[in-house]
Formats: sequence, structure tokens, C-alpha cells
Amino acid sequence: MNMTPPVLSARDLRRAYLVAGAPVEAVRGLTLDVHPGEWVAVVGPSGCGKSTLLNLLGAIDRPTSGQLLIRGRDVAAMDDKEATRFRLTGIGFVFQRFYLMPTLSAAENVELPMAEAKMPRVEREARAKELLTYVGLGARTDHRPFQLSGGEQQRVAVARALANRPALLLADEPTGELDARTGEEMIALFDRLNRDGTTIVTVTHDEELAQAARRVIHMRDGVIVDDQVRRPLESPTGAT
Amino acid sequence: MRTLLRWWCTLTGAVILTAPVLRVQGQGMRTLAIDERLATASGLSLGDSVRLAPMASAPSGQWARIGAITRRSADPSEIARSEYRVRLHLDQLQSLTGVGDRIGRFAVRTQLSAGASPDATAVGPDSVSAAINAMAFGFRAYPAAEVAIETSATFRVVNRFHRAIGIITIVASAIFLLCITLLKVDERRREVGALRLLGLSRATVVRSVMLEASLIALLGSALGAGFGAAASAIVNWYYQGVYATPLKFALVTPEIVAIAVTLSLLLGIVSGYLAAQRLVRTAPLELVGR
Repeated sequence: MNMTPPVLSARDLRRAYLVAGAPVEAVRGLTLDVHPGEWVAVVGPSGCGKSTLLNLLGAIDRPTSGQLLIRGRDVAAMDDKEATRFRLTGIGFVFQRFYLMPTLSAAENVELPMAEAKMPRVEREARAKELLTYVGLGARTDHRPFQLSGGEQQRVAVARALANRPALLLADEPTGELDARTGEEMIALFDRLNRDGTTIVTVTHDEELAQAARRVIHMRDGVIVDDQVRRPLESPTGAT
Repeated sequence: MRTLLRWWCTLTGAVILTAPVLRVQGQGMRTLAIDERLATASGLSLGDSVRLAPMASAPSGQWARIGAITRRSADPSEIARSEYRVRLHLDQLQSLTGVGDRIGRFAVRTQLSAGASPDATAVGPDSVSAAINAMAFGFRAYPAAEVAIETSATFRVVNRFHRAIGIITIVASAIFLLCITLLKVDERRREVGALRLLGLSRATVVRSVMLEASLIALLGSALGAGFGAAASAIVNWYYQGVYATPLKFALVTPEIVAIAVTLSLLLGIVSGYLAAQRLVRTAPLELVGR
């Protein structure tokens, strides 16, 4: 049993939407703890509430009821401005589509969240270079997104997500737009990130990605139906 | 021999005459002045002698030497007039026409007498012309300002027409710029939505969109001013050649450029703000299409 305080703690989390005037619960009384250094893969059929859960965990959406603490902060109580700031500094996002700014270079894309967080230019340039080197793009820092392959763009997106040293990295189908070989490279990158101490929650349909995670949560109809730890936590080898 | 159809004679008054001019050689004669257009068209130059006669068929005339070639002032009201101008000494003109007391119009310059108060409007041009008209028979006096207003009526209409075109252009440009900005911003809904999800604030999005729209507007106004200056130069070069005048037909002044840039910048800021507001009022999840 992990005795370290969880990075993320959800208690009886619920999220209901009005569909044709009737409330429909996408997440129904979900309780979950994620500890530092874990890599959790959330899997399940389409419409089971995975994406809704990820939106709640990422302070993008608000729960209808229940409690959600991330690094001890009550996300549900945050107003829009606080939640935006919290997403900037506390959470890293990797999307299925990379959403890089086409007019910016790889390094500038990585610098964007740091610039928003008012990090000094010299510091953020160094950090961007360090992160791009970490994800294997040290030689392509000045390339624009259109000059990069899909896998490379996703690597830039991962570097961007790590820019402000978030407590939690959330990834929504990070291999969804990649071919099999590039997907494997991305899984290897996530594995390395996790070994180096990054706490990761991924939502995926990709069996290989789910198999690589330390813990796999199965969801169905808005609830967790299975929660398996496949690999125990190890001491991190580095830091990102 | 070169024949000229018409000329203007101006000394204290101005009289329209028709007469032939013949080119001959001669020294020690009375002088006259011709305008540049006449000199160019007839090949006359300083020192040339010409014979003046009231009728083309007159067997004799008076000889005069060209003592000056004058350039017309840039007067828009005269630009389309094709006649030539010759200035003669009054006595020679009178003897030439044989009507020594006939004057079409003349100008009187009024000025305050020494020691008179500037407030003494009772002796101003209006009162002088009123006094002249009170005793005039067969003619009428007008203050210079009234004449200027009368002769510039056409240009005031043209000016209003240009202003109307300008206003229509500005309104159309504003709508066009707003539509373009909205479309360009809409193309980046997903990227902006992702940035919002990553934690970029609404203010940052609004600022960056406004900055981009302003820069585009500034660039557009600079290009527009450059295009306007180039077009003006071409128009001036062409019509100054056609009418043989130094008159400027199209002007792009620093004031016009300043107004254009300011207006464009304002439009850019407003359109950028409206487009950005439309964007940040939409939920980030909706922007990324989830």
C-alpha cells in the first residue's frame, strides 16, 4: 500500500449533463486516488465516461457533486480564472491531436506555457531546449510543426505539457493519431517519463499503451469496474 | 509663321482678344510676356520678336519682343482652359485693340490706412464693394472672398463627393476587416481551445488576437499609403503632362497617412477585440470540438 499522500484524490465524483432535458450521469460516484509516480491508464468502451473523467481531473470541467483534490487543492471550488491558472502550473495536457501553434517553432511552442507563467526568457529558453532534447528533438528546436512528422509533433506536445513542471500529466489518446511504430515510440517516451518520476493518467483505447501503464482502470457506464496495479512503483531515475 | 487662336492679356485688367502672332527678328522693341504653354506650343523663346495685330488678316501690326516667359500658377479653376496668355503693356494693348477704355474686369486692393484700428470693419472690402455698387452703372463689384467662394463651388462639390466615397470606403473596409478577422480567428478555434485547456488565460488570447489584428491593420495601412503615394505620383505625372501645369491632382499628405494609419489601427483593435471576445466566450472544450 502506498503511504505517500495522493497527487489526485476523487471522492464520490459525479458529473451529469442534460440530454434532451433529462439529466444523464457520465461519471457516477467515482472514487480514485493517484499517487506520485504512478502511471494510470483509464480504458473502457466509448461513452463509458473516460473523457469526462479526464476533463474533471484536468480542471477543465466541474463535477456536479463529490470532491476532487489535486495536490490538496479543491478543484471543484475554483472559479474559471483559478482553474485556468491551475491548469497552467499544476497539470500538463497531451491531446490526441497535437494542437501546436503552426506559426511557432518547436521551442516556441514549448515556451508558450512558460511565457504565460511569466518565466524569464533565458530560463524558459533553456528549459524548452532541455525538454526537447529529453523527448529526442534537440536538433529540431527551430522547426515549425509542418516540418515535423506526427510523432515528432506529439513529442513537442509532450515537452510543452511538461514545461511548467506539472504535478500530473494527463494524456487523452496520445497515440490515437500515430502509426504503430510511432505509437510504440510514444509509449516508450511515456514509460521513460514515468520512470523519471512523472505522474501520468492516460485515457486510451490503445491496448499496448494500456499494457505499458503501471495501473489500469476499467470504466463502464460512468463507474470503475476494475482497477489493477500491473507494476509496482520504482524509485525515479531522473526528473523532468 | 505660327498662328495662335486666343490669348489673355492681363495688366491692371484682363481682356480677351483674338489675333495672329508672327515670328520675326527684331531688337529695341516693346516687350511682352507669354506663358510657358504658348512658348512650348509655338516654339517661341526669350528675345524672339512677334508681330501683333487685332485680326489675322490685318496687313500691318505692332512689333514686340518676348521679354519674359511666365508659368501659370497652379489654379484648379483654370486647368481645363486651353487658351494661351500674353501680357502686354497697357498702352500697347489699348492701341492694338483700338478700344482704350474697354475693361472686362479689374481688381482693387484695399488696405487699412496708417493708424486705423484693425477693428474698423466699416472700411473693409464688403463696405468698399457696397459703396461702389451703390453708384455703379453697368458693372458690379464683388469682394475677393465672394469671388473665391463662387469660383470654388465646383471643387466643394467634388470635395463632398470624395468625402462620401471616403466614408463608404472606411465603412466597407471596417466590415471587411471584421469579417476577415473573424474568419481567421475561427480557423484557429482548435488551437486556441487547446491553449485555453493548457492554461492560457482569456486575457492572453484577447491580447494576442488584438495584437495580430492591429499589426495586420497597420501593415495594410502602410501598404495602402504606399500604393496611394505611387498612384498619386502616376496621376500627377500624367495630368501635369496633359495640362502642362505644376498643379498636383492627387495628394497623399502626412496628415492623410496619419489619419489612415490611426483609423486602420482603431479598426484593427476593434475587430480584433470583437473576434477575440467571440472566441473566449466559447468554452475551451467546445473550441476543440469535444
